[in-house]
Amino acid sequence: MGSRRTGGGVAAVGVIGAVIVAGLGAGLLALLTSVFGKGSECGAAASPAAGIVLAAPNTGTGQLVGATEYGGPGDPSSGVIGSSGADLLEQPDSYAELGGDTFQTATAMGGLPYLTPLRITWGARSAIAYKRDIGLGGSSIDGLPRVLDLWWQLAGRLGIPYEDGLWSGPVRIQRPPDTGAGSLLDQTAEATPALVAPSTADQDPATCAPAALAGVPITTTDRAQLLPNGLAAAPAAAPLAVREIIAAGNQIVGKPYVYGGGHGLALSDVAPAYDCSSAVEHLLYGGGLLPLTYDAPSGTLESFGQPGAGRWVTLYASADHVFMYVAGLRWDTHNAAGPGDGSTGIGWHPLIRSDAGFAARHPVGL
Amino acid sequence: MTRLCLVLLIGALVCAGCGGHAARPAPSPVARADDTHEYPSAPPAPQTATHVTSTATEAIRAFVTAYINWDAQTVSDDMRTLAARSVGQARAAMMLAAAQTTGDYELQRGGISNSGTVEAVAPLVGHDREYVVVTRESTRATNTTAYQGLQPAWHVALATVAEQRAGEWVVSDWQPEN
Repeated sequence: MGSRRTGGGVAAVGVIGAVIVAGLGAGLLALLTSVFGKGSECGAAASPAAGIVLAAPNTGTGQLVGATEYGGPGDPSSGVIGSSGADLLEQPDSYAELGGDTFQTATAMGGLPYLTPLRITWGARSAIAYKRDIGLGGSSIDGLPRVLDLWWQLAGRLGIPYEDGLWSGPVRIQRPPDTGAGSLLDQTAEATPALVAPSTADQDPATCAPAALAGVPITTTDRAQLLPNGLAAAPAAAPLAVREIIAAGNQIVGKPYVYGGGHGLALSDVAPAYDCSSAVEHLLYGGGLLPLTYDAPSGTLESFGQPGAGRWVTLYASADHVFMYVAGLRWDTHNAAGPGDGSTGIGWHPLIRSDAGFAARHPVGL
Repeated sequence: MTRLCLVLLIGALVCAGCGGHAARPAPSPVARADDTHEYPSAPPAPQTATHVTSTATEAIRAFVTAYINWDAQTVSDDMRTLAARSVGQARAAMMLAAAQTTGDYELQRGGISNSGTVEAVAPLVGHDREYVVVTRESTRATNTTAYQGLQPAWHVALATVAEQRAGEWVVSDWQPEN
């Protein structure tokens, strides 16, 4: 039974895993860094909390958590039957929820029901896995709370090297969207649980952002500065994610506005034209705040992140339009504030415009 | 004599007042709505479903099969058809779904489709004409990876039926639970 192995061996796994990580040193660290961008920085920024609060389905970029691997030929003591009664060899897309010192406290993700699907991403690979087991918790992994154990075949599908059930490292987890006609048509009796964002200490997007784009101008002022060439200079003191958002904006300044433009592409692409939502999403992706394949209209962004204005970034979204302020500088697709508001195209605008009718949202931690 | 005149005069005034009041036009519907907080109108015509079946479970199976099998291109029309084939809250819910899916950007752009089978229809104990419906459904998408890898899932809904005429059953209430 996987949970038995997980419980009995979890402390040893933690210690041995730490030793392995330390022993492999720069090589493994480099691997993790290449896979997760600034994974080690994320780890340093995250709190070693015992568990996490899962975000609502299909929102945000998911959450970085600590994971271990179990089962397989090098770990025969784990057995093959999960605590749910499932034969894990027959259903290899399985994970165990961990936590605490007893099986009753294996609730590091809130005590998910069996068969709860999670999209688990390691590096460039991701897979849907289902909870079919539980196990005991343990020390944090790279500063991230240890919340789940990956069945070894699942880990293999993700490209995680098999280390006789001793691998540990960060993975990104996200609840997939709800399925079924009732959910898709918004007719289910019980709405999806409200998004409860993890604390900024657990997940600071500024420290989890992709690598900064080269060449972004920097200013020593507190606010972003609009330069004569239409680009924006980022405050030197701004979090990395903010500088990356500005850099991503500078990539597409001056692109023509076309309704529907920029949609249907990976957010890393530079499209020939953008509309309001695709332009904003390009910037948010640049800051590591949206996944590569995110693609939604402006109305969807009404539920982005958390409500209200942010310290550095504030989106104003409605069903018809979305714009944002980044370090005090407005990103918009037209000169809504009238004469003197810069170009009529996509880009940075020097004037503040009315936000009546828009929902103010901001990324967690920004 | 003076008193008699006074009484007659008052009587005449009262009668004139009554007559004058009776001659005033009836209040407009808006004025009546101000008083009653309900705009007066004729009661709605009874709803008639365009498609009926001879048993309650057949009505539910037909309704649910159509409800869970659609793609982004057909869903609005499918829901509109279901609205015509149902009555009451079920019809209202289907009309709402038809309207919402017509402009559902994510549904269209994602190329989302749903398919499934009706696995069970069972009477809800203690509730006349109410049934529990179990389906097994898969959601797919052609233009997004969000649903990739998700297995078919079980879903439960409550359905209520009505007898339109003797032996003519239709779905009158539909409430998906998950």
